[in-house]
Amino acid sequence: MRKTAVLLGSALVAAAGLAFPGMAAAEERAVIIKGFGAKSGVVRSFGINSEAAMRAAADLINSKGGVKLGDGATGKMEVEFLDDRCTAEEGISVVRRIASGPALVAIGPTCSNVAEPLFGVLQKKAGDASDSGLQFPIFTDVAVKGGLAKISEWAFRNVPSEAQMYNSLFEWVKQTRPELKTIYAGVEENFAHSRASWYAVMKEAAPKVGLEVKGEAKWLLEDTNFSQQVREIKAAAPDILAIAAHPFTTCGVLKEMRRQGVKVKMLIGLTSSSSLETLQGCAREAEGIIIPTSFAPVTPEAEAAAKQAARFDGSLDLHSAAAYENMFILKKVMEEQKVMAKPDTVQADREKIRKGLAGLKQTDGLLGTIKRTDDREAIKPYLYVHAKDGKWAVLHNPLTN
Amino acid sequence: MGFVDYVQAVIDGLLFGTTYSLIGIGFTLVFGVMHKINMSYAAASLAGAYCGLVGPQLLGLPAWTVFPLSIIAAGAIGYFIYLTCFRFIPLASPLATLMSTVGMLLLLDEIVVHSTAGMPQNYPAIYDGDPVEIGSFILRADLLGVFLVCVAAMAVLLALLYRTRLGLATRAVAQQPVAAQLCGMRLQAVNGLTFVIAGLLGGVAGAMIGASVGMLSPLISGPITVKGLIVTVIGGLGSIPGAIVAGLLVGAAENLFQALRNVTERDIYVMLLLFVFLVLRPGGLFATARGRD
Repeated sequence: MRKTAVLLGSALVAAAGLAFPGMAAAEERAVIIKGFGAKSGVVRSFGINSEAAMRAAADLINSKGGVKLGDGATGKMEVEFLDDRCTAEEGISVVRRIASGPALVAIGPTCSNVAEPLFGVLQKKAGDASDSGLQFPIFTDVAVKGGLAKISEWAFRNVPSEAQMYNSLFEWVKQTRPELKTIYAGVEENFAHSRASWYAVMKEAAPKVGLEVKGEAKWLLEDTNFSQQVREIKAAAPDILAIAAHPFTTCGVLKEMRRQGVKVKMLIGLTSSSSLETLQGCAREAEGIIIPTSFAPVTPEAEAAAKQAARFDGSLDLHSAAAYENMFILKKVMEEQKVMAKPDTVQADREKIRKGLAGLKQTDGLLGTIKRTDDREAIKPYLYVHAKDGKWAVLHNPLTN
Repeated sequence: MGFVDYVQAVIDGLLFGTTYSLIGIGFTLVFGVMHKINMSYAAASLAGAYCGLVGPQLLGLPAWTVFPLSIIAAGAIGYFIYLTCFRFIPLASPLATLMSTVGMLLLLDEIVVHSTAGMPQNYPAIYDGDPVEIGSFILRADLLGVFLVCVAAMAVLLALLYRTRLGLATRAVAQQPVAAQLCGMRLQAVNGLTFVIAGLLGGVAGAMIGASVGMLSPLISGPITVKGLIVTVIGGLGSIPGAIVAGLLVGAAENLFQALRNVTERDIYVMLLLFVFLVLRPGGLFATARGRD
């Protein structure tokens, strides 16, 4: 008799599970967030670190109870990272694929040359029925070329403002090293971000503090011989050399400067070069180079985040730290906007996330409060690091000085 | 820029051009023997150089070991490419081997990228001292060393080809494979050895490129492949002396064009140089009159 009762009870529980599958699922639902960026090619490290940062953040969020969904259920963040190979066509294809699935939002891409055309395929103005562009929120962590989010109302960025960072850096240089009067640049001519960083940012900022711009030496991203460019630098004899280039050619030029015995009083580098790659390629030659960046493990939160990312085999730098921050920002937005994360609410949830991100005036970041602008960009706290004894060390922190 | 700067640019280009020569020789050697282009040659040379870094970086060996290790590894990779892209693929289908080596190029590049996460790797210089100053001119001492090593490697190759039985067999197979077989030469063995020799030479090139740049990056293999092919065409497909001179010519020309015009225009003029040769001298620098168009 007792055996029969147990069997009947079990059958009833099983039948209830089959009849009401939503009951069990209502307790906990997947909140799918996709990452995309370069995981192959020469900027693979960016994708690896962004993915690790996203997974690290998702792990922490999930372990602390996940995302509180609109109906009171718990959402567990699920992260998948796709490779766009740092090419525009791959990036667009990846995002179209993501948008056709259950993902609510995507974080990426790595490269500005992907971000710019990709934002172009998104709906320009949210709610414009005549615009058939993709209606899918993208929250960029890495691609740093200025002003890209204005392309679409579905595009948001949490990248530092280079104009603000370099303006501030040159002000600081003027105050602390007034004897420096001239500046010369080395520019990677065929890379959009490098060009923009010199011509639109540093070259504009330097004269404002009285620095005389003596010109620029040019090279290409894949160049291997910098003897001419370094002779040009030598001939210009500047006090400051600003290198607007990525780690490979930055190191190539610095090594050639050492060979030719060319020395300057101050070296300034590109934000993206404040990474492990530069130290891996030319720690000795890069000694002393100053770079403004939006991340260094200088706060307890940043230190904890760096450790958490390391658990997922990633290194937190200014780019991957943004991916980490984005996950927490998205959690907050989803909870505020009462996202449901149900299969039949995917598009509604995407719109809620877009609206929530657009409404943000400030967010929490690893270094402090991040302000949000009306054109969906971020104004992030920053500091200056320099290469010292083969490591990046904080040289000056405007937040605390 | 003055006259001295232009001469200096040409000197720098000539010194760096020896590495182009070595890559060009590798292309031309395989083409000369098998009448096939091995598109993965430059990538394999650089992959060999990357393998050389395993000694100092992972095994704790002295920095100088990177050079012999790079050369040996590139030789082994050369033989692997022969086995995978040529040995078992019908040679009668020229596109098949071309595409298989393009695939190998991409594969090698991606293996390097995944092994290093795309990060530039510091590569030791063969000489780390001050440059040599001659009057107004400055010669990079390490590039002079690279130049001498490359010249020595070419001399060894030429001696191997023209002073040994292996070289005789290689040349015989290149000229008349069927007749060479009838004379008792083993075609597959000679072809395989040609890939190993070309690989070893590529290892020298890869190591010297790493030493002269001071770093290795996956960014290098694409441009070096293009330069190697240009050198091979200008030098004449299958002509080793042509590849040597063409490498120096391309190295000097690209530096001169950069000095005269601009870095962004430099490659346009190098490509124009290629077209000039293709139109006016399609057989290459040292083609016989009969070979000319």
